[in-house]
Amino acid sequence: MRKISFQAAIRESMSQEMRDNELVYIMGEDIGVYGGAFGVTNGMVEEFGKERVRDTPISEIAFTGAAVGSAITGMRPIVEIQFSDFLLVMLDQLVNQAAKMRYMFGGKGKVPMVLRTPNGSGLGLAAQHSQSLEAWLAHIPGLKVVQPSTPYDAKGLLKAAMDDDNAVIFFEHKLLYGMKGEVPEESYSIPLGKADIKREGTDVTIVATSIMVHRALEAAEQLESEGISCEVIDPRTLVPLDEETIIESVKKTGRAVVVHEAVKRGGFGGEIVSVIQESEAFDYLDAPIQRVGGLFVPIPYNTKLEKKAVPQVEDIIAGVKATVYKK
Amino acid sequence: MANEVLMPKLGASMESGTILQWFKEEGEVVSAGDMLFEVMTDKVNIELEAEASGVLLKKLYVVNDEVPVNQVIAYIGQEGESLEVSDRENGSDETAGSESVASYQFNNNKESKDSRRIRATPAARKLARDHNIDLHMVDGNGPRGRIQLDDVKEFMADSETKTKATPLATKIAKAEQVDLSNIKGTGIRGKIMSEDVLSQRPADAERGVKEKIRVEGVRKVVAKRMVESAFTAPHVTITTEVDMTSVKDMREKLLNQIEKQTGYRLSYTEIIIKAVASSLKNHPMINSSLQDDYIVLHSNINIGLAVATPNGLVVPVLRDCDKKGLTELTEESKRLGQLARDNKLNLEQMNGGTFTISNLGMYAVDAFSPIINQPESAILGVGRVQEKPVGVNGLIQLRPMMTLSLSFDHRVIDGAPAAAFLTELKETLENPLAMLA
Repeated sequence: MRKISFQAAIRESMSQEMRDNELVYIMGEDIGVYGGAFGVTNGMVEEFGKERVRDTPISEIAFTGAAVGSAITGMRPIVEIQFSDFLLVMLDQLVNQAAKMRYMFGGKGKVPMVLRTPNGSGLGLAAQHSQSLEAWLAHIPGLKVVQPSTPYDAKGLLKAAMDDDNAVIFFEHKLLYGMKGEVPEESYSIPLGKADIKREGTDVTIVATSIMVHRALEAAEQLESEGISCEVIDPRTLVPLDEETIIESVKKTGRAVVVHEAVKRGGFGGEIVSVIQESEAFDYLDAPIQRVGGLFVPIPYNTKLEKKAVPQVEDIIAGVKATVYKK
Repeated sequence: MANEVLMPKLGASMESGTILQWFKEEGEVVSAGDMLFEVMTDKVNIELEAEASGVLLKKLYVVNDEVPVNQVIAYIGQEGESLEVSDRENGSDETAGSESVASYQFNNNKESKDSRRIRATPAARKLARDHNIDLHMVDGNGPRGRIQLDDVKEFMADSETKTKATPLATKIAKAEQVDLSNIKGTGIRGKIMSEDVLSQRPADAERGVKEKIRVEGVRKVVAKRMVESAFTAPHVTITTEVDMTSVKDMREKLLNQIEKQTGYRLSYTEIIIKAVASSLKNHPMINSSLQDDYIVLHSNINIGLAVATPNGLVVPVLRDCDKKGLTELTEESKRLGQLARDNKLNLEQMNGGTFTISNLGMYAVDAFSPIINQPESAILGVGRVQEKPVGVNGLIQLRPMMTLSLSFDHRVIDGAPAAAFLTELKETLENPLAMLA
């Protein structure tokens, strides 16, 4: 199968949908001729025109509000926010409007919009452009939260997000954009709420999201040579969360490590840990569940410190080893 | 909620009690007022009644366990009732509240008393539960000694091959130096029970042992207190010979009268008690106790009388001996002596002594060095009365002579005041009418 980048897979998913469905359009800062801050919409304005690939002013709350309104009135907008850090500017439109409409109007209004946004650190963009804020949104009833980790997943999950009649927040990790992988040419959908077992194993379950899936796989590879067999699960969507896959895996391994780039304190990992220990997997646990997450600091500008602030392969290995410790 | 049975506090100084026996078994029906258990304090043995009716759900301690006062030792409740058993160690901590209380399903087969104190993973606990394994028996190899799944699996594998024995059987085997691997167990799945070990150990006769008497009860207390006194207080014993002619005359004169009044025969002991009380009044330092940094002089003269019983030495106390006449002292000392021999003294009758008399005069003993009954400061040893030739006004006469041995605590009393007291006592006995002065 052909290999394309994560970024191209997203573009292809959007373009295929826009060709099929004229209600779909995209809106955001510098997404037209410039192609977006990370080049995801490169060439799209040429194909679909300025009507459907709309450049906006620097006014996140205004154009997000416009997207919510157009979604309610029948369009299926895609909004690109340059950096997920800027989500905080338009949270009111997202949390108080988009997330509530369908519920408050008894299902009569739908909010079929997708909000795509790059998140995470690793490019030396400092504290205001490097955060991982997915837990903020996963907390809100009415919003779906997606975190793809591969080009294949990105294309299929974005299709499902665009087809969904609810507001879906689609987090794209900056370091993944250039990553290449096998992606089918035709359009396909990966259901939201279905985790993917990226690697099977028997000793420890590692639940990792986004870029951390790849670090977890690398850790698992190294641990395999030490005789520790890790199962790596990518939930792919935080909301809805595929609890069953995680629980079944922990019942098999008896140990779990939860990994995300976001600051550990208050991060979504705590939610996953709770889901595990509240479930029937509790009686199978043979070690306290470990969380591996970002340090409780703003992301430093200095690239060495930036790396230190978020989990690396060796941190995940240490987390796994803590669960298999034996005197 | 089941009723708690507590170790009672039977006296101001009681800090713990030893359970001597249980009159009821777990599962047996108990009515309030039924004898439930017997407790030994450092002074007496007391049988205690159940204060609630129901079923004896759980005994937390076994015979010979020493338990701090106010600690829960058993539960009485309804049949099948689940118990909220608080931590044994924190049993008296009322503020612990419900948070530190583990829910505990009453289970007769359970050897462990509190599974909460074990550090084990849920997976290890589940496996142990499914196979009826007591986690107390399993070594934890995880972080902080936590028992993990593999530890339980290893334990199970080991138990298949190793000899299985109950903790009690293991303990006995160790004490008796019996090899468990040679014993055939009669318990479930061949588990070695304590009886199996006991029946297997080499007969005592073969080892030249005639009888083994367990050091417990009064014997144990006597042993402990004697060691405490002998190794705390520097003892000095001084002796003197007393001419008992006058005491003998006085006894004969008073014998019938006192017997008529009390039904008891006046003995030398009571006269000596009276003489000691009279002398102590003039020598308050002898009637004292060393308490921390102070020598406490007692205003009362309470004289303890060492009484030999089949179980060991006990010391009933005669109060305010300086204020009592010989009739009263005779009646009281005979009554207490009998109670002591019948093992029926209560705590009140053994507390508060300020001086002790130990009388071996009924044996062929002249002098000895008695050990002070702490926290008192002195003790008087009384020897036999025997006719001896003594010089009286230039003539040798046979006189009934008796030796007194006074042991005193040299931390409190120096030689001279002790000698002065003993001298006065001797003079009082040789001229007993002086007591009336």
